[in-house]
Amino acid sequence: MTFEELPDYFLVDLPPEATLTPTVVSEACETLKRNRRRYLLERPSESLLRTLGLVAEKWLDPEYPIRQLALELGEARSGFPRHTIELGLQSLFGGMTPEGLNHLILQDLGHVRRLDHPTSDDAESRSGRKSFVVGPELIAHVTGGLIPNPVITSIVLGFLARSAQFVKCARRTSFLPRLFAHSVYETDPKLGACLEVAEWPGGDASFEEPLFLAADCVTAMGSDETVERLGQQLPKGTRYISYGHRVSFGYVTKAGLEDSSPRVLAEQIVDDIVQWNQNGCLSPHVVYVERGTTPSPDRLAQLLADELERRESLQPRGPISEQAAATITNRRRLYEIRAASSKDTLIWTSKGSTAWTVIFDNEARFQKSCLNRFVYVKSVDRLDDALGGADEVCGQISSVGLCASLHESQKIVERLARWGVTRVCPIGRMQEPSFLWRHDGRLSLGELMMWTDWEL
Amino acid sequence: MGGRSVPRTVKKSNAEVPRQADCKEKMSSTSSLANLACRVEEWIEDLSLSCPPSGVSDADFNDVALELFRRQSESNPALAQLLRFWRVESSALTAWNEIPCVPTAAFKEMDMTTLEAGDRTRVFFSSGTTQQERGRHFHHAQSIALYERSLKQWLRQHCWPAGGREAMTCVSLTPPPSCVPHSSLVHMIEVGAGTASPSELRFCGELGPDDGWRLNEGLLRSQIEAAVEKEGPVCLFGTAFNFVQLLDTLSAWGETWSLPGKSRIMETGGYKGRTRELRKTELYEQMEDRLGIEREWMISEYGMSELSSQAYDGVVGSADPDLDQRVFHFPEWVRVRVVSPETLEEVGVGETGLLQVFDLANIWSALAIQTEDLAVRCPQGFSLKGRASFAEPKGCSLLPEA
Repeated sequence: MTFEELPDYFLVDLPPEATLTPTVVSEACETLKRNRRRYLLERPSESLLRTLGLVAEKWLDPEYPIRQLALELGEARSGFPRHTIELGLQSLFGGMTPEGLNHLILQDLGHVRRLDHPTSDDAESRSGRKSFVVGPELIAHVTGGLIPNPVITSIVLGFLARSAQFVKCARRTSFLPRLFAHSVYETDPKLGACLEVAEWPGGDASFEEPLFLAADCVTAMGSDETVERLGQQLPKGTRYISYGHRVSFGYVTKAGLEDSSPRVLAEQIVDDIVQWNQNGCLSPHVVYVERGTTPSPDRLAQLLADELERRESLQPRGPISEQAAATITNRRRLYEIRAASSKDTLIWTSKGSTAWTVIFDNEARFQKSCLNRFVYVKSVDRLDDALGGADEVCGQISSVGLCASLHESQKIVERLARWGVTRVCPIGRMQEPSFLWRHDGRLSLGELMMWTDWEL
Repeated sequence: MGGRSVPRTVKKSNAEVPRQADCKEKMSSTSSLANLACRVEEWIEDLSLSCPPSGVSDADFNDVALELFRRQSESNPALAQLLRFWRVESSALTAWNEIPCVPTAAFKEMDMTTLEAGDRTRVFFSSGTTQQERGRHFHHAQSIALYERSLKQWLRQHCWPAGGREAMTCVSLTPPPSCVPHSSLVHMIEVGAGTASPSELRFCGELGPDDGWRLNEGLLRSQIEAAVEKEGPVCLFGTAFNFVQLLDTLSAWGETWSLPGKSRIMETGGYKGRTRELRKTELYEQMEDRLGIEREWMISEYGMSELSSQAYDGVVGSADPDLDQRVFHFPEWVRVRVVSPETLEEVGVGETGLLQVFDLANIWSALAIQTEDLAVRCPQGFSLKGRASFAEPKGCSLLPEA
């Protein structure tokens, strides 16, 4: 199969000469709603989960033509190297099993049959109640980022909510969502008929207006400014679920470092950096390392540089834009100046390219990385120093990758949670949130649903 | 520091700067920074006297650049520190394009100068917010004098190619030098456009409550009205954002000006972090419509406080009306390279990279400057593609996202 051979099921499949118009968007929304009533609204969970599980299984099969297409064309179309897409697909579809999705329903809705008919969990039984949940009629997903996983996850959640869905992708970001939509259509055309994918530049009111008028729920991911602007455009009463930009960091305690093999730890940190080349909310900009043990934080930074160099030969970062490369070069220059005049700053860089950069700094202030494998290692005495240094991004932190001993982890998680961190995971798994992840601290499926309480 | 403590022109005296006739002789023996300055001055003088300019040969440029770099590496402690870090031996270099470029950030983080603290009589700051550390280019009487000679000749060749400066009303939309004594841009306009008669150059900008630059609308109107009455041409100077402010003002007044024939504009790019930006084509279109000046009479200047020379993208009156075809040129004592941000190797013609400027008039600081600007290499110069996203992780809390 070639990309050109994909059938024209979705608006994004239309040939370039076909013109997308606001009327087409309106009509597509009405069709989606109609198809939802016919094919999705009353579909039992069991059947739906089986289909979604089947789609995921296909994507994990190396022989699956659509997966092969994704890997063959992915670098040119999405900018990510093949191995990155491969890892991303594994991480996404590996957890998308009927069991995994059932766990999600149970976690978010308290009962696996909650989406099928009124049910009671223990507490409800004791109080003589049942409840039932209903999702939105039409969800408009407005996607902004380069990474396809959150978009595909949103689509799956929308299917679970029995909603028709219109996915509006930012320019040049529809490649993988489009392939996923085709895989759904191919597996189950009726389900695929409840999904639409289109692409146009963000902020085009002529297309967005009819879409937002038709949708009763809008989800958006993107920069804080974009999601705020979008929220202001929505008609009154439209449910709005937005995810602004977040950043993440790693934290390595003294005891955690003592319990670990430094080289393995460096490999795990690099796993988090290399996946999606840091272009996502979950990858670390900074790794804080406690002082006072061996290896020292600057030595760990050196190991990190060694591992990034090794990884570059195995999983090269790939080309980036001139603008992105220039940003890295400029930033490197600044730290060279600092390193030339202070022992508190050290810098390691790939030779003859911007492939990777490690900056060691004795100062705890959080720094946003310029991404594409550019990471800070900062030494601190204790967690509070790191949190003090990250004060400016308090409330914007998504994940903390933690390397700590078992006995101290709980206290650290409590401290991080009270400070505003919504996800703590082992270093090395920062980019692999499970389907059960409460995105930015909120229920992912539960957030979409409306409850009906039935008092018996 | 503060105020304009430096006289507008510093006359060459035998004690300070050797006479031109001595220069070549001294170059071969015990050349000092002052001798090298003298050599660059010769080129500047030639530029003003000969048309077309006599030219600076590659060999001459190379000799002076390498000698200057060697001198600077000995007498500029900050540069020496960077060279040690980069493991560069200045004596090992054989060509000017091997000279390692000092990033503009070094002017923020270090005292990038050969001048002793007590000799620094003037400083120009790079633009930036109060939260950010600003770059500092230190000067003394000789360096200011060289800077002024350098800027004046080149500016006049581009703004008044046929002469006639005296018959023209010059209006700068920037605040006056007394308000912004550390702005190299305002100093450039003052020196470049100034004449013996100070009334011929009026500054119609002022500082707002946040120290931002804004127009003094009343003063501007009176200046323009007087010029129109005189029917003499007007030359407007300012940053791109100054001109956006002017367009906004005219729009608010509901006015369109039709400035006298041969009126001209020199804009210097730059929005200084202002929220409203116009694409250059859009800005020029609106200036044509609102001010009645044809595009051939509008030119752009490229400069920065870290340099002592400037580039222009055209000569007033004959500038290319197609902005995409315009190319910036520096004077002959300056060479540029456009390097790949990925490999730092020079890119091919037509390719984009980071702009490096080798300015031999930067005698007492560092001659090779790594800018943060993306440029396209052209056969005879460069065109700008914008600035790479960059902010120094100091002072301000968050870096912009890449």
